[in-house]
Amino acid sequence: MKTVIVRPERCVGCWQCRLACAVEHSRAKNLVGALFEEIKPKPRLRLYPGRLHWAFPNKCRHCDPAPCQAVCIAGAISKDPVRGTTDIDPARCINCAMCAMACPFGVLTYAATFAAPERRAVALKCDQCPDREAAGRLPACVEACKVGALTYGEVEDAQVDKGRALAQAVFASYQAAAEAVPGLPETISLWRKLT
Amino acid sequence: MRYVIIGTSAAGLAAAETIRQRDRQGGITLISDEPHLPYSRPLLTYLLGREVDAEKIFLKSHDYFDRWGFEPRLGAPVLKVKPESREVHLEGGETVLYDKLLIASGASPRLLGIPGEDLAGVYTLRNLADVENLEKGLPPGGSVAIVGAGAVGLKAAEALIRRGNRVTLLEAESRPLPHLLDQTAAGLLHQVLTSLGVESHFGVRPVGLMEKKGRLNGLLLDNDNTVTADAVIIAVGVRPRNEFLAGTGLDRPEGIPVSPFMETGHRHIFAAGDCACAPHFLTGEPAAYRIWPAAVAQGEIAGANMTGAGRRYDGILPRNSISLKGVKIIAGGLLEPDGKDGEVFNELDRSRGHYRRLVFQNGCLVGVTLAGPKAADAGIYFQIMARKVPVKDLPVDIRSAAFHPGKLWA
Ligand SMILES: Cc1cc2nc3c(=O)[nH]c(=O)nc-3n(C[C@H](O)[C@H](O)[C@H](O)COP(=O)(O)OP(=O)(O)OC[C@H]3O[C@@H](n4cnc5c(N)ncnc54)[C@H](O)[C@@H]3O)c2cc1C
Repeated sequence: MKTVIVRPERCVGCWQCRLACAVEHSRAKNLVGALFEEIKPKPRLRLYPGRLHWAFPNKCRHCDPAPCQAVCIAGAISKDPVRGTTDIDPARCINCAMCAMACPFGVLTYAATFAAPERRAVALKCDQCPDREAAGRLPACVEACKVGALTYGEVEDAQVDKGRALAQAVFASYQAAAEAVPGLPETISLWRKLT
Repeated sequence: MRYVIIGTSAAGLAAAETIRQRDRQGGITLISDEPHLPYSRPLLTYLLGREVDAEKIFLKSHDYFDRWGFEPRLGAPVLKVKPESREVHLEGGETVLYDKLLIASGASPRLLGIPGEDLAGVYTLRNLADVENLEKGLPPGGSVAIVGAGAVGLKAAEALIRRGNRVTLLEAESRPLPHLLDQTAAGLLHQVLTSLGVESHFGVRPVGLMEKKGRLNGLLLDNDNTVTADAVIIAVGVRPRNEFLAGTGLDRPEGIPVSPFMETGHRHIFAAGDCACAPHFLTGEPAAYRIWPAAVAQGEIAGANMTGAGRRYDGILPRNSISLKGVKIIAGGLLEPDGKDGEVFNELDRSRGHYRRLVFQNGCLVGVTLAGPKAADAGIYFQIMARKVPVKDLPVDIRSAAFHPGKLWA
């Protein structure tokens, strides 16, 4: 299973990934069209000013098991058994923010989307660009990243290469911890790795 | 192995799925007195407010039981559990035998114990049947009094406003969600309620329900005022459902006592979810806090342990997310520090609707409230809380206004 691997130490904060992500999640899927859409498309990854680095890209790690899925009271979050992604169904999401309460990475945004026009806001996050994947293309953010901060690769490779891919190491440690103890404590070891 | 689970909701289903993942062969019987396929209780107010369609409240597909190899017994109330002979007695005389039993029977609404609660026009809100009753009985555009400004009362108020009802909210404490929010956060919530058009009264208790022609037509309050209403919804909390456990010693008013492995005092009987009394994650004291995520987590652990996994539950971290009119408030942990080494940090920006409140005890984060756009970061604070380590060991000061998740990783 392939996933987006984040290497924050390489990020220069150019915001190209955010722009590409917003465009990919517009109805038109191109910049000009996206600019004029009634519901403004939102990027599903964030860039923060980092502590030691210029910027820190933050996005959904598609955890397995996914804490957001366990707390979703609307049955809107599921795991895709083939792609390995954690998916939110905007037609079921009720904007209750239980997922934000559970997400250890703080990656959720609540806003309108053309995919559920009847809802004022729904939970939005990385879906790893399913349309692009189906067409054999890279996720939009990875394609836009010119400095190697966002790459696309096999989960296993990334797990072996923990030192290089900090974010992926976090993801891996989460999985390993989840095997050992369920419930809250598993996240404790996650944070040890984080900091 | 015969596994029997009483309750087909958050805790019961989480347990059943966990058992099946670990034991492909064992028989798993799921019993519920409700006739419906599994549905989301928290969605009931959204259903009432016509914000979600009826079919969206169901959490599982029609072939769910078959696919997982579960034997459902829906619409089958359990009348008695006999631990000595490992029997579950159903209404109608049938007996189900178990090797391992999970009690995941949830809770039912508490009433006020005041005259008139049996009148037509008096409702509670816990089951799909309650919503059906409200659909039938609520006069369109009529006035509804809601007793209790807890999570259910608040969401019910929003739903009724959406339906075009006039809503009066009555709360005995001085503010909404008194056990979860401080004055400031509750004040922000009160503003949202007012902007919705809800009329709220705090510090008042109903002492009687008034009738006219056999129907409710108002409430008499302890300050001698009256509130006229065509209907009343009583939302003052729940009590564990354990009446069918009479004689087993498990039917305690605070919930079924469980070990950290979700076992009850009877061998082969486990309990999880709203019916159980698990410890508070931070204090270790029994925590009467009943939320969906805790029911799922406890169900998973009970299920795993019924197959012999030996997993430990570290307790409930009370927390909730309140989203009214799109305004989000997420809060959890302890509301106040409980010793002299405590400290409370506040950050308020009324113009942006932003509020951040952090509670520290012995240098550790033990409570958090976030209102406004930054509520989306709540999970990060709960992770820090779950670590139970002094915040000075974190790479950044989480009090700083510039704190964000990137600071922890970089
Ligand atoms: C309106 C509303 C809104 C809510 N909103 C939220 C929210 O936003 N966030 C949150 O975290 N929580 C929320 N909750 C609480 C949440 O729904 C509960 O914590 C959760 O449902 C508990 O799950 P459970 O499996 O323990 O029990 P329950 O969901 O109560 O299920 C118990 C099951 O046992 C069955 N049962 C009980 N006794 C018997 C018997 N004798 N025989 C046969 N079957 C029996 C019942 O029929 C039911 O199927 C809300 C609750 C309500 C009512």
